[in-house]
Amino acid sequence: MQQLQCIFLLSESSGEVMVEKQTTGHHVDRSICAWFWHQYNHHRNNDQMSVVTSPTHYLFPLIRHGIIFLACTQLELPPLLPIEFLSRFADILSDYLCAGSGAGATLNEDIVKDNFVIVYEVLDEMMDNGFPLTTEPNLLKDIVLPPNLVTKVLHAVTGNSSPSVGPTLPHAAASTVPWRSTHPKTTTNEVYVNLVEQLDASVNRDGNLRRCQVYGEIQVNSSLPGFPDLTLSFTNPSLLNDVRFHPCVRFRPWESSQVLSFVPPDGHFKLMTYRVKELKKIPIYVKPQLTSDSGNCRISALVGVRNDPGKTIDSIIVEFQLPPCITSADLTSNHGTVDILADKTCRWSIGQIPKDKLPSLSGNLVLEPGLDRLHVAPTFQVRFKIMGIAMSGLQIDKLDVKNMPANPYKGFRAQTQAGDYEFRS
Amino acid sequence: MAPPVSTPKSASPSQPSGKSEVTDLKLQLRQLAGSRAPGADDAKRDLFKRVISCMTVGIDVSPAFSEMVMCSATSDVVLKKMCYLYVGNYARCNPDLALLTINFLQKDCHDQDPTIRGLALRSLCSLRVQNLVEYLVAPLAAGLKDHSSYVRTVAAIGVLKLYHISATMCHDSDFPAALKALMLSDPDAQVVANCLYSLLEIWTQDAANSDEAAREIETLYGKSIIYYLLNRIKDFSEWAQCLVLDLVSKYIPSDNNEIFDMMNLLEDRLQHANGAVVLATIKVFLHLTMSMTDVHQQVYERIKAPLLTLVGAGSPEQSYAVLCHLHLLVMRAPMLFSSDYKHFYCQFSDPSYVKKLKLEMLTAIANESNTYEIVTELCEYAGNVDVPIARESIRAVGKIALQQYDVNAIVDRLLQFLEMEKDYVTAETLVLVKDLLRKYPQWSHDCIAVVGNISSNSIQEPKAKAALIWMLGEYSQDMMDAPYVLESLVENWEEEHSPEVRLHLLTAVMRCFFKRAPETQKALGAALAAGLADNNQDVHDRALFYYRLLQYDVAVAERVVNPPKQAVSVFADTQSSEIKDRIFDEFNSLSVVYQKPSYLFTDKEHRGPFEFSENLSNLAIGGDSGDDVIHSAQRYEENDKDLLLSTSDKEENGGPTHNGSSTYSAPSDVNSSRSLVSSSTTQPAAFAIDDLLGLGVLDTPVLPPPPALSLNAKPVLDPGTFQKKWGQLTVSSSQESTLSIQGVASLTAPQSLIKHMQNNSIQCIASGGQPPNYKFFFFAQKEGSSSFFLVECIVNTASAKAQIKIKADDASASDAFASLFQSALSNFGSS
Repeated sequence: MQQLQCIFLLSESSGEVMVEKQTTGHHVDRSICAWFWHQYNHHRNNDQMSVVTSPTHYLFPLIRHGIIFLACTQLELPPLLPIEFLSRFADILSDYLCAGSGAGATLNEDIVKDNFVIVYEVLDEMMDNGFPLTTEPNLLKDIVLPPNLVTKVLHAVTGNSSPSVGPTLPHAAASTVPWRSTHPKTTTNEVYVNLVEQLDASVNRDGNLRRCQVYGEIQVNSSLPGFPDLTLSFTNPSLLNDVRFHPCVRFRPWESSQVLSFVPPDGHFKLMTYRVKELKKIPIYVKPQLTSDSGNCRISALVGVRNDPGKTIDSIIVEFQLPPCITSADLTSNHGTVDILADKTCRWSIGQIPKDKLPSLSGNLVLEPGLDRLHVAPTFQVRFKIMGIAMSGLQIDKLDVKNMPANPYKGFRAQTQAGDYEFRS
Repeated sequence: MAPPVSTPKSASPSQPSGKSEVTDLKLQLRQLAGSRAPGADDAKRDLFKRVISCMTVGIDVSPAFSEMVMCSATSDVVLKKMCYLYVGNYARCNPDLALLTINFLQKDCHDQDPTIRGLALRSLCSLRVQNLVEYLVAPLAAGLKDHSSYVRTVAAIGVLKLYHISATMCHDSDFPAALKALMLSDPDAQVVANCLYSLLEIWTQDAANSDEAAREIETLYGKSIIYYLLNRIKDFSEWAQCLVLDLVSKYIPSDNNEIFDMMNLLEDRLQHANGAVVLATIKVFLHLTMSMTDVHQQVYERIKAPLLTLVGAGSPEQSYAVLCHLHLLVMRAPMLFSSDYKHFYCQFSDPSYVKKLKLEMLTAIANESNTYEIVTELCEYAGNVDVPIARESIRAVGKIALQQYDVNAIVDRLLQFLEMEKDYVTAETLVLVKDLLRKYPQWSHDCIAVVGNISSNSIQEPKAKAALIWMLGEYSQDMMDAPYVLESLVENWEEEHSPEVRLHLLTAVMRCFFKRAPETQKALGAALAAGLADNNQDVHDRALFYYRLLQYDVAVAERVVNPPKQAVSVFADTQSSEIKDRIFDEFNSLSVVYQKPSYLFTDKEHRGPFEFSENLSNLAIGGDSGDDVIHSAQRYEENDKDLLLSTSDKEENGGPTHNGSSTYSAPSDVNSSRSLVSSSTTQPAAFAIDDLLGLGVLDTPVLPPPPALSLNAKPVLDPGTFQKKWGQLTVSSSQESTLSIQGVASLTAPQSLIKHMQNNSIQCIASGGQPPNYKFFFFAQKEGSSSFFLVECIVNTASAKAQIKIKADDASASDAFASLFQSALSNFGSS
């Protein structure tokens, strides 16, 4: 049967067990955590596998925000089920515990420890007898109220011991759109659509583009009253290579005319993820050069804009790993700062490319005694961010909102950031 | 939360404050218990939080059980939840105290608020205390009929929990039937899913002992329920969809239209945001189309894009699990992925286990059109900072070279690796060049020219050194200084630690000797002398063998050591195709991630050294009867020890001995020694010794000749019943048989074999696969009886082998049927 027998939350820094939830009659001893922690530390610098076999159980570890989510089972089950469940659980916890603490706050072990009662409550509703139950954030929030600012204020003002449990049960489960709460809520009557793309590219040592593709997400933040019906269309949907939808998207309209027709849940959600393959252009390039002889290696790297995207390229960082055979490195740049981190990663933070010159890095690497030439070739990884443009070229045509008393405010944004963006030398 | 097993006080040795903390908590709880004062709930809440945090840290707070229960009379839901959590955790160790909680839990089961009702019911079922089950029945029955769907979902799972505590109680209350009715009628999809979940587990566990449960399981896999669930698939939560899809993957549709309808209905599931749903859908598609080769290929085309997206877009954890599935598909049908090779390029940031999988896939999909691109990419990895991956990628280049016809360019690339002068690169490359030369001797000139420049001193790894030495011996006529290099290696014999290298050195010197005798004679003498004095048994034996061979006749020695060689055409594959098929059948399971079929890591017989002893006892029962059985089993063991003794004797004596009989008489048991002395005459004992020598007793069972078996010419069995029988019966006979050459030749499509078997009264119920692997399910019926034989037959036309698994209603006739089946199979093509 598809069931997880136990879920643990461990601290990634100390291995301390923060939460333990036994879900079935089969009791999983917490000594398994110590075992896992030992294994984890042993392999920390190398690789972690997504399924670990302990002497007694199969363990599915998922590491997010310094917390290890660990699911244990002894039974055969589809491997993605626990992995997907744990990542959903991690997302929901972040949403629950950090939404009130302002933007940019992420989950950490202190927050989990402070709110472990909420964690137990949420987990209890998300899983019964080891099988996932309710994982829709909106439904959960109706059952277990998040510890947000509003309830805290309310508590302080009224002196009422406000329960963190919803007063009534959601009836959405019985409705045709389970992701949407049926409770009328105060809404601001606005909807934001955000295209977020991640650009993967690799260029080989001859400067040829070996592969380039985009993984994109359409994130929607909706705050609309009633039962809104939205239709989102693109000017160039044929670009999309493969798409995956939030359950709220109706399949037929997409099949017939490539429009996204949906009734949105409240709040943040991922409407669609997509992939565009075989792009021909990359916005930024790095030209590394390494020449070595008699125990020294001259290194130089140039960074420039290739196909101007028309928007500023921001927070450019170039990183590469110094090979282990290098004893010392002396690197300078004409723009930005160069740091060598403890793990021998060299980080060159450029920021924006200045108008008047090309940023360049140069320097000398001293090889281990006995080595004449450098045999390994470091890979240069680039990170950057471009606001206001989706590099795949995908464009939103329009967003129609139906079934609404007043016309809502609609906002659109786009952004591209580097994913695996690498240049080999 | 670990509840202590026996000694609660020792549970928290690392928490010295634990004990006093618990007493403190107890005290405070007691003070609050009866309090109705305003603010008491807040104080309770803080205390409860402290109790639960102690529990989480691992301190045993069970001594506070009664106080906690006393405090639990509250209307505060959070307090209730904390209390439920506490009670659920410690009830098992305090069954007597748990009785105290029943009262308030039962009361909460009638609360106005459905949340409380649901929570209380869930907690009640989670107590898992044997002697409290009677209190569960009434609330559960009410829960299943509750008007709130939330309570019904909880109750549906609650039935399963009850079943695990007391199966009889669950059946006596007729809960499975109630669940089934609810499953087929409830408007709420989650209730339906939970009923299905519970029923599947209850009936699967019961099926072993009860025909009724087996029938019920059968109806779950039947058309009406599958259709009912499929039609509602979009209402289910994503997890419930996984469950339903898993059920659907086991359903056998009656015709192709049904298959297409189901695939059309499920197509949009491939675009679900949840990867688990996508994989479950892919499994359904693959299984549905097994027998339709064309459609099966189209399915591959269709699922390619979602899989590739899942690999790229997910978290590293997801990515690896999906990649393993992709790996499986790529290995099965590399041709279909040959144009997507760019997706398998390694990224710098990929963990090395991901890179390894990608390299294997790149190797598999390389063909005429993409080899250049792939090899160029792989060559870049040879300079990778990650040394194991650099090695892996060089090996991948070599493997591609071995599977291609046009290796010209690749050989050049390999030789360039040698010029990198990086020790591990050189080492890996040498091993590859050796393999390449074994397959393509025509390249020897180019390779030897480069290899000849490598100094043997610079190579440390045994495998590489052995490869170099092999080449020196094999191509000594082309390498000017081969005899001298070998000679210097022989001089350093003592410093060579690897026996493998020393073995190769012996052979290489021998070979060189036959080609360039005058120059090698000295080295040969030194090598043989050093070999004879070697500590390693293998090296010593080979040296002695060569020495005697040369003494006997030099010409014969040359024929043995230096025969004309045939180029190797195919190197052996590490994983058999049967295992690969098994893993494929278990798509969307852990087997795929482990790259092993589940029986290899779950079945008892594959786990430990017990396999042998189990076989022995089975055999004894089959071959003999009564008291003798035990005797003979003991005898085997004694013999076993004796035999070991005698072989060690042999070694000490240093010569061939025939003292076996004297050691055999050692056992004091007169009975056994008598039977052993006469071992050559009595059947059972001879059979015992065969077994000890590992001569595969299973092949020579001592059974009376099977009665002639005649089969019903026109048996009738519908796929559903077949499926059910196949699930219930155990394999009664599992064999491998060989097909005739004519048989292989006429097996261009499954139909030919199906016809042939039909003429032998064996009917096919399902078939599938593509060359060279076909899979068939056959069945036959004994004439004049209702007992069926079910056969799974996997034919590999490349090796002309067939794996046969037979299950039979009447196991005693299965051997007779097996031989019948085998003879029918071997006749295939000859008629």
